Amino acid sequence: METPQNVGMSDLNAESSSLPVDHLSLQSKKNIVLVSHGRPPWYGPDGERISDAFVIGVAGGSASGKTHVARQIVKSLGFIPAIAILSQDSFYKKHTEEELALAHASLYDFDHPSAIDMPMFATCLEDLKACRQSNIPVYSFSEHQRLDETKYLYGPTVIIAEGIMALHDPALRSLYDLKIFVQCDSDLMLARRIERDVKERGRHVTGILEQYLRYVKPAYDNFVRPTAAFADIIVPGSNNDVAIELICTHVRRQLQERSNAFRRKLAVPHLYNSSLSRPPPPPQDGDLKLEILPPTPQVQGILTLLRSTDTPRQDLIFFFDRLATLLVENAMQFLPYCPHTVTTPVGVKTVGQKLNTKHICGVCIQRSGCVLERGFKRVLNNVPMGSLLIQSNSSDGEPLLLQVKIPVVLRKRTSAEDSWVFLLDAQIGTGAAAFMAIRVLLDHGVKQDHIIFVTYLVARRGGIAVLRRAFPHVHIICAAVDNEMKEGWLEGARGEGNPEGSGRRVWLMEPGMGQVSAMSFL
Amino acid sequence: MSFPPPPPPQPSIQQPPVSANHSPTVSSKIPSSVMSSSVPTNEFASTNSNPSNSTLPRSVYTLKPTAQLEALYTIIRDKETSRGDFLFYSDRIIRLLVEEGLNHLPVVNKSVVTPTGSTYAGVGFEGKICGVSILRAGEAMEQGLREVCRSVRIGKILIQRDESTALPRLFYSKLPSDIASRYVLLLDPMLATGGSAMKAVEVLLDEGVKEERILFINLISSPEGLNTFCNRFPRVKVITGWVDQGLNEKAYIIPGLGDFGERRYCE
Repeated sequence: METPQNVGMSDLNAESSSLPVDHLSLQSKKNIVLVSHGRPPWYGPDGERISDAFVIGVAGGSASGKTHVARQIVKSLGFIPAIAILSQDSFYKKHTEEELALAHASLYDFDHPSAIDMPMFATCLEDLKACRQSNIPVYSFSEHQRLDETKYLYGPTVIIAEGIMALHDPALRSLYDLKIFVQCDSDLMLARRIERDVKERGRHVTGILEQYLRYVKPAYDNFVRPTAAFADIIVPGSNNDVAIELICTHVRRQLQERSNAFRRKLAVPHLYNSSLSRPPPPPQDGDLKLEILPPTPQVQGILTLLRSTDTPRQDLIFFFDRLATLLVENAMQFLPYCPHTVTTPVGVKTVGQKLNTKHICGVCIQRSGCVLERGFKRVLNNVPMGSLLIQSNSSDGEPLLLQVKIPVVLRKRTSAEDSWVFLLDAQIGTGAAAFMAIRVLLDHGVKQDHIIFVTYLVARRGGIAVLRRAFPHVHIICAAVDNEMKEGWLEGARGEGNPEGSGRRVWLMEPGMGQVSAMSFL
Repeated sequence: MSFPPPPPPQPSIQQPPVSANHSPTVSSKIPSSVMSSSVPTNEFASTNSNPSNSTLPRSVYTLKPTAQLEALYTIIRDKETSRGDFLFYSDRIIRLLVEEGLNHLPVVNKSVVTPTGSTYAGVGFEGKICGVSILRAGEAMEQGLREVCRSVRIGKILIQRDESTALPRLFYSKLPSDIASRYVLLLDPMLATGGSAMKAVEVLLDEGVKEERILFINLISSPEGLNTFCNRFPRVKVITGWVDQGLNEKAYIIPGLGDFGERRYCE
């Protein structure tokens, strides 16, 4: 049997002073997101979400083996992009002074459903299921209190909610795609509990039994065991490998169906597929609603240098910075301003303008978006910067979201709704990465017209038309618009159409500037 | 062909005329006619002085008076602004001014091969440039210049008012030896009476620089100063970020921003 680190509420009644650090680290292990190989698109070409996250509820008595079941599922579903395990322990209510005193005297009933903040549990689960961000409360076992900090969570494809009351609340039950009850013999549960508490916490058997009889057992009989009736599947608390395998097969098939449904709808990277019978008519620039930097002699000269293969690398970096500065200066026009009166050192009052925004932040799409970062900071020097690592899968061009590191203001929905976000990427070709990045921001609650996408180049026949249809209100500013996309090979055999070369197949703009990240970093 | 298409009309880039944003109670503001941008004069970012308006000489070019530009000026005008913010925001304006100034330099057609193997018909920069700052405040614009023109040569001129004659007098100058063959970006943040700027141009002309190859770049100018300067040197192009209301009895620009060099270096 695996070391039962979590298991039930009884932990709470353990000596509060002992091992606070262990308690905290134990807590953090319970909400985990495992990222394996990136998250494929979860939205259709219209920009709307096409599938929810898959939610599994796991209930069962204290020490019945819920955590074991949850971890076995995670292990068995190893190929899944991201899985979060949410523990009911995180959702203990914020206690009043009286409750706190009771808790420290081991007289507070943590095994009663009313001890848990069910509405908050449901809200968090609902947000995660709808692919929105969530901020999970953090409960300290040593202080017997919910802490002010929260843990930000975004983007799991599968969510496992576990706890003795996981199937108790109707609102929670309605969110589950699969309900599991871990059935275990009471004797076995008590035996495990005694063994664990004695071995790991040095407690006396009498104390354990008293607690068990006073709180744990009645809670199980009154609130936990009856919820087994709601379960889709009842799993034995031991020797359950077969049951877990069955569950995983089911989950995999469900996910596969969702992903198949999606692939058919995904139009972004496949738009330029050579098998397409006739190319779509090129969109009119007016329809794309791009803000194009005025083509002054300097801008044209910079673009010429950036496009040329003869430009030395250090020159490239310098001119990328210069152009980015101009782009971001120009993009400042999309922010709101309001009249503002100041007094000058000459002693004269004058009415000018000032920025009328609550939060501004930048997010660059790794890797090539970083090329714009220095220029961005020359214009907005002390705004938080985040990044999204999005790479396209070399076999089918499908983008994969590998890492989300976004500014703190975007992690909370309330502040995200008041934020203006500059999204930076070197070019919009297939538009797949731009599409995904915008979707991530919208998932967080950023308003569409508060997103300002800053980029050097846009391909007219590329994904921009789809992007525009899906997100008509996002501001897009670029330095130039190129006509075509063509297939190319990254590295080495570029332009010679060498299929067995070591390069990766990519879509390149024509005439374009090549792979910006390769040019400025490699 | 891959030459970038002509830009679409850009109605959105143009902010409403500045005058619309001003409350009528403000007397100390630019006359709205000066900054009016209703007549398109130039396909580029800058708008030349409004030709229908005779207040500004023809050789004066201003930045487009957008809300975001006005917000920058509002910060550096505010006497409460910290020195760090003054540096940062004045640098932003200086970069925009230098970018605008460089647009008046010639370019030539130039074809290059892109990494995808196609030919791109672009343009190449033509002509050597150098910067000349009028000490001390003009020196503050050098960093902004260097961020746009890496490793540009910069000469310096020190001009001060001679108390006995009340005329600007040249104290010191150090200029690149081949300055006569270069385009010169003359840097001085404030154009008040225009006295020292005109003296500096005299120095440059004495060195053999051609008048039409001088671009005078400043952040704020007074209408009086602009008129005096441009009447004297009509072929020097003046790039100014904002034309203020005028001068007070001490020849300070109103509303202005105080002493630029003092705020940049000492406060």
